[in-house]
Amino acid sequence: MTQPLTAGVSLKPQHYADALACRAEGLWFEAHPENYMAAGGPRLAWLDAIARDKPISLHGVGLSLAADEAPDEDHLAALKRLVDRYQPALVSEHLAWSMRRGVYAPDLLPFPRTQAALARIADNVDRMQEVLGRRVLIENPSLYLPLEGHDLGEVAFLAALSRRTGCGLLVDVNNVFVSAHNLGFSAEAYLDALPAEAVGEIHLAGHAPDANADLLIDTHGAPVAEAVWRLYGRLIARIGQRPTLIERDDDIPAFQDLMAERERAHALLTRETVDA
Amino acid sequence: MPDGFHDRFLAAVGGDEAALAPWCAGPAASAGLAVYRNTTAKGAADALAAQFPTVERVVGPAWLAAAAVAHAADHPPRTASLLTYGEAFGGWLTTFPPAADMPFLADLARLDWLWTGAHLAADAPPLEATALARLTPESFARYRLVLHPATRFAGFDDGAPSLWQALQPPGDPPADLELGDAPEGLVFVRPGLDIDHRVIGAGTLAFLAGCGAGESLAAAAMDALAAEPGLDLSTVFAGLVAAGAFTELRTLS
Ligand SMILES: [Fe+2]
Repeated sequence: MTQPLTAGVSLKPQHYADALACRAEGLWFEAHPENYMAAGGPRLAWLDAIARDKPISLHGVGLSLAADEAPDEDHLAALKRLVDRYQPALVSEHLAWSMRRGVYAPDLLPFPRTQAALARIADNVDRMQEVLGRRVLIENPSLYLPLEGHDLGEVAFLAALSRRTGCGLLVDVNNVFVSAHNLGFSAEAYLDALPAEAVGEIHLAGHAPDANADLLIDTHGAPVAEAVWRLYGRLIARIGQRPTLIERDDDIPAFQDLMAERERAHALLTRETVDA
Repeated sequence: MPDGFHDRFLAAVGGDEAALAPWCAGPAASAGLAVYRNTTAKGAADALAAQFPTVERVVGPAWLAAAAVAHAADHPPRTASLLTYGEAFGGWLTTFPPAADMPFLADLARLDWLWTGAHLAADAPPLEATALARLTPESFARYRLVLHPATRFAGFDDGAPSLWQALQPPGDPPADLELGDAPEGLVFVRPGLDIDHRVIGAGTLAFLAGCGAGESLAAAAMDALAAEPGLDLSTVFAGLVAAGAFTELRTLS
């Protein structure tokens, strides 16, 4: 692709026709590889069509890199087949776990950020990059549980993981905002401490208050909040332009509504490029 | 710190919150664990709702979500791709007390599951009718028909297939769910990207089953006539070929 990636949107089945027809400059699409791990059929054909003329990002949710076991080789092999087929511009996963002794919990689960966990997860990221034959980006998850026993803060942990494995970072600004609220830290200080050169992608998404407790939930079911847009502006003012996703997984709006949010990020990014 | 955080975390999400005491405790722990509990349950429920849309049309989203949570306790997902999650759901529904007054629900689930199988199956060119020109009745014993990878079929003791068809969008679901007494089968075909389905009788079902088992055309035809004496086999055969149910005509070795 000759055009640099600016702002992208999550690819949703109900938007395939609009996504295929859209000609916006710098646009790209992000898909969950788990939704395309099929032998054949219409899903793969749709993504074939999109990938023919738009950059694609494969954003995994199920490799379970923060488990205390190695990643599932069948899952990795299926991911490798998709990477080979679609030649994505970006490949990412989460700093979280979801698989335990062959049972999958469909969530992004937390863990104590110990030195032992760092060594284990670095091995798992190494394995992922070795099988895929490319660099991947690792995303900060939303946190809901105040755990004891961390050796490292999340930024220091991600920076160390990047140094050890060569992986890049996917910074989800909404997750930083949500975690900062839930665990009581400064979102600004977190973003200011991130190693700029490691950041390869940014996520923006919506959140909602929990019904029962003073917690924010990263529902991916609402427009990006103004407070998150402000944090995003602060981050790219410091580190410069990065491919930025409007991430939406629930209560999916019309394609044009998603694109309106995407245009806002695109405008900020292209303005930033001039300065950089 | 003791070892075994991951196991203890799952125990805590499962309700034994004291298991996580070395790492967190108190109201903040309960509130946070409740978020993970809800998200995990919603993940299983969303996956089953996507997989069993016809069941959801009958019982509604809330009923299906509650069933999904109970089902996940017995049959948790085994892979991170949830595209093939739910294989056991149809059978499990027959043991789920709230479904007792809807005995057809398990069959609707089995049909939704066959649809998913057709949807995700490998691509292959459908067999062209012209490929059958070399066939003569005398050669039936020397050939067999290979099913298209997306072809799925099943037989039922009642009219579940017609009920399943009546429940498909875009039309509104019927106000009264009528289940016929006569046994029916249903076949799904996907010669290209679109899935088609048709209600079939015992003879067609037996013919497809024979082909799927690798029988010769002659043997599959015998099965079909045994299951449904007087069946117009040439019409059935031509209809299945035209629908794209097969991918290849192969010589028996
Ligand atoms: Fe994200």
